[in-house]
Amino acid sequence: MSSGQATTGALALAEMRRRRTRHRLGALDWFEVAYRVYLFGIFGGGTVLWISSSVNDATVAAGTLADVGRHGPAVLGLLAALAFSAGLRGGSHGGPLALEAADVTHVMLAPIDRRHALMRPSVQRVRSALSTGVGAGAVAGQLAGRRLPGSLVAWAAGGALYGATVALLWVGAALVAHTTRLPRWLATAVGLAVVAWQGAAVAWHVPGPADTAGSLGLWGWRQHPMDLTATVVAVAAVVAGILMLGRISVDALARRSSLVAQLRFAVTMQDLRTVILLRRQLNQEHTRHRPWLRLGGGGAQRMGFTHSLWRRGWFGLLRFPLPRILRMTALAVAVGVLQAAAAKGTTPALVGAALAAFVLGLEVMEPLSQEVDQADRADGLPLERGELLMRHLAAPAVALAPFAVIAGLAAVVSLGAEYIAATAILAYPTVLAGAAGAVVSIVRDAPDPYSPVNQQAFVPPEMAGFTTTLRLVWPILVSTLGVCAVLLPRAAARTGGSVEAASVRGAVGEVLFIVAVAWWVRLRDRVRRSVRAFMAEGRSYTAAQRRQTSGRTT
Amino acid sequence: MTIALSTRGLTKDYGDRPALLPLDLEVPQGQHVALVGHNGSGKTTLLRMAAGLLDPSAGEVEVMGHGSGTVAARRSLSWLADTPTFYDDLSLGEHLEYVARLHGVVGWQDRADELLEKLQLTHRRDDIPTTFSRGLRQKASIALGLVRPFDVLLVDEPFVGLDASGKSAFLALLDDAAMAGATLLVATHELAFVHRVTRLLALRDGELVYDGPPSEVDVNTLVLHT
Repeated sequence: MSSGQATTGALALAEMRRRRTRHRLGALDWFEVAYRVYLFGIFGGGTVLWISSSVNDATVAAGTLADVGRHGPAVLGLLAALAFSAGLRGGSHGGPLALEAADVTHVMLAPIDRRHALMRPSVQRVRSALSTGVGAGAVAGQLAGRRLPGSLVAWAAGGALYGATVALLWVGAALVAHTTRLPRWLATAVGLAVVAWQGAAVAWHVPGPADTAGSLGLWGWRQHPMDLTATVVAVAAVVAGILMLGRISVDALARRSSLVAQLRFAVTMQDLRTVILLRRQLNQEHTRHRPWLRLGGGGAQRMGFTHSLWRRGWFGLLRFPLPRILRMTALAVAVGVLQAAAAKGTTPALVGAALAAFVLGLEVMEPLSQEVDQADRADGLPLERGELLMRHLAAPAVALAPFAVIAGLAAVVSLGAEYIAATAILAYPTVLAGAAGAVVSIVRDAPDPYSPVNQQAFVPPEMAGFTTTLRLVWPILVSTLGVCAVLLPRAAARTGGSVEAASVRGAVGEVLFIVAVAWWVRLRDRVRRSVRAFMAEGRSYTAAQRRQTSGRTT
Repeated sequence: MTIALSTRGLTKDYGDRPALLPLDLEVPQGQHVALVGHNGSGKTTLLRMAAGLLDPSAGEVEVMGHGSGTVAARRSLSWLADTPTFYDDLSLGEHLEYVARLHGVVGWQDRADELLEKLQLTHRRDDIPTTFSRGLRQKASIALGLVRPFDVLLVDEPFVGLDASGKSAFLALLDDAAMAGATLLVATHELAFVHRVTRLLALRDGELVYDGPPSEVDVNTLVLHT
C-alpha cells in the first residue's frame, strides 16, 4: 500500500467521523438533553448528597481508626485486584473495545492502519471507565469522610484518585491481555493468583500486590507518595495497550459488535437486566453443556405444574458456568461485608449491600428471566401468568441458600464471633429480601397482556424522564428496603437490648416482605386487569353522561 | 499463474464442534468459483476467515500472497456479507464516499453513480440504508462492495432478498468484475450462478466433498443435497 493511500484513508476516516459527530449533534433535542442533565443532577448528585448528609453516623473511635489505617489499604486493594483480574479476563475474551458492526466491516477491513483507526474508540473507552471510576470513588470517598478524620473535599478527591486508578487498572489490563492475545486459562490463572494474594493480605496482613492502590483510597486522611506507583502502573498498562492496538483481534471485534447496539439501547432504556445479560454474552459466558448434577427422571405421575417448574428451574441453575458462580460468590461476600459495615455504624453501606443483593438476584433468577423473555410460550400455558411466574421463584430461592451462608460467614468474619447467632438468623432472609428487587425488575419487564399498546407512548414528555428514572431506581429501592433489617439488631446493641431478639424481629419482617413481593408477582396481572376494567367502566359512564347532556341541550 | 486465494490446513472449530476440517485450497487469479453446501456446512466460516474477520483454529489463508487481515490483503479483497451492515447516521451516498475514500479511490463519484444506476438505487442516494427493505439493503451492500478496487471478491449468499431485476443487475456486475480480471468466490444456493462458474466447491459438515467444474457433476443434486 502506498503511503498516499494510507493517508487518504486516514483522512477519510477522520473527516467522516467529524461529519457523523455533526449529524448526531444536529439530531439532538437539546431541550431533552438539558432535561436529562437536570434530572440526573436532581436524582443523582442531589440524592447522593442528601442521603449522605442525612446519615448521622458517629465518627469512628481511635481503635477503629487505627484498624482502618492498618487494614484499609489491603481491603481497598482487593477491589483493585478484582478490577485487574476482571480486566485480564475481559481482555482475553475480546474486550474492552466494542465497535459498531459497520465499523468492523468498512473500517477494519479497509487498508488503513488499525492502530490509528482504533485510537479514538480506545480513548473513549478509557474516558468512560475513568469518569465512572472517578465518580464512584468521589461518592464513596465523601461518605467515608463523614466518619473518618479529614475534610469531605479531601476524601472526595482521594476517592476519585483511587477510583481512577482502579478504572485504569481494569481498562489497561484488558487492553494488554487482548493485544498480547493472552490465553484465557492464563488470564484466569493470573487474575485468580492476584486476587488470592490480595485476599491473603486482607486475611493474614501480609503485604499484598494492590496495597498501594488501596492506600490511595485513604488519601483523604493521609498521603503516602509511594502509593502513586499504582497509578503510574495503571497508566503504563493503558499506554502499552494503546501502543499495541494494531494487534487487536478483528474476530473479537466482529463478535462483540453485534451485541453493542443492543447494549447501548438497553443502557439508554436503563434496562439493567438486559445490560447484565448482554455483558455476559460479550464475555462469551455460555451455560454449561453438561449440568453440574443430572436430575433424576422426576416420576411421570408427579409432574404437576409446580413440580415441572421446579425441575425446569434446576435444569437452568445446574448449568450455570463456573465464572458466574464465582461472581455470585463474590457478590454474596460483598453483601455480608457491607451488611457488617452497616451494623458497625456505616449506614450508607446498606445501599452497596442492596446493589450487590440486587445483582445477585438478577443472576440467580435466570429461570424467571427466561420465562419473561419467552412470553409467547408462557401465554400458551393453561395457567395464569402470575401463578406461573410466582412458582418460578421457588428454585432460585433455594439456590440462594448457599450464597446466604457465604454472606453470613463474611459478615461474621467482619463482625466477630459474638454475632454468629444474629447473623444465622438474618442471613438467609436478608439475601432473599435483597434479591426481591431483581424479581420486581424482571417481572415488571414482562409484556402487559392487557394493554394493546405501550402505555409509555402516552406518557407526556415532561413525565417520561421521571418515569424512566423511577423505572431504574424502584427495584433498587425494593432491594434496599429488603436489606434494612440489620438496623434493628444495631439499634438493640446500641441501647443494650437483645441483639438476637431484634434479629428475629428483623427476620420476620423480611419474610413478610418476601411474601408480599411473591404475592405481587402472583396478583400483578389480576390487579392491573381490575384497574383497567374499572377505568374503562368509568370512561364509558362519563361518555354516556356527556351524550345525555348534549342530547338535552340540543 | 498467480494464486489469488490459498489455504493451507485451514481449520476452525468452536470448542468441541468442528466448523471447517483442515482445508488445502488454491484459487488462481481470475477464476470464478461457486461455494455450495447445506446450512452449517462451513461456507460462511471459510469466507470469513479468508476476509480476516474470523481467526482460524489452525492453518493459514493468503490473499494475493499476503496473510489474510494484513493491510495488503485488505487492499486486494472485497467482502460482501450475507447480513449487510450500515451506519445509521449516514446516507447511502455518504456510505459510498466513505468506503471509496477509505480505500483511496480517486474519482469515486463516477463509479458510485454507475453502480447506483445499475442497481436502480439512484433515487435512494440520500436515504439512510438502515431504513431500507431487505432487498434494498442487499443492493446497497453490493454497491459498497464494488465501489472500491479489488482483486478478489468474496460474496456470501448475495441473492437472498433480491428481486429478479436485482439478481440480473448483480450478475451483470459480477460479469464486469470478471472481465476486469477479478477472482470471484461466491457462496450460494442459486443455480443460475452455479452454472456460470468455472469451478465448484462443495462443503458438507465442514469437509470439502467436491472440487471441480460444475459440468462434471449433477449440480442440482449437489446443490440441493450437499
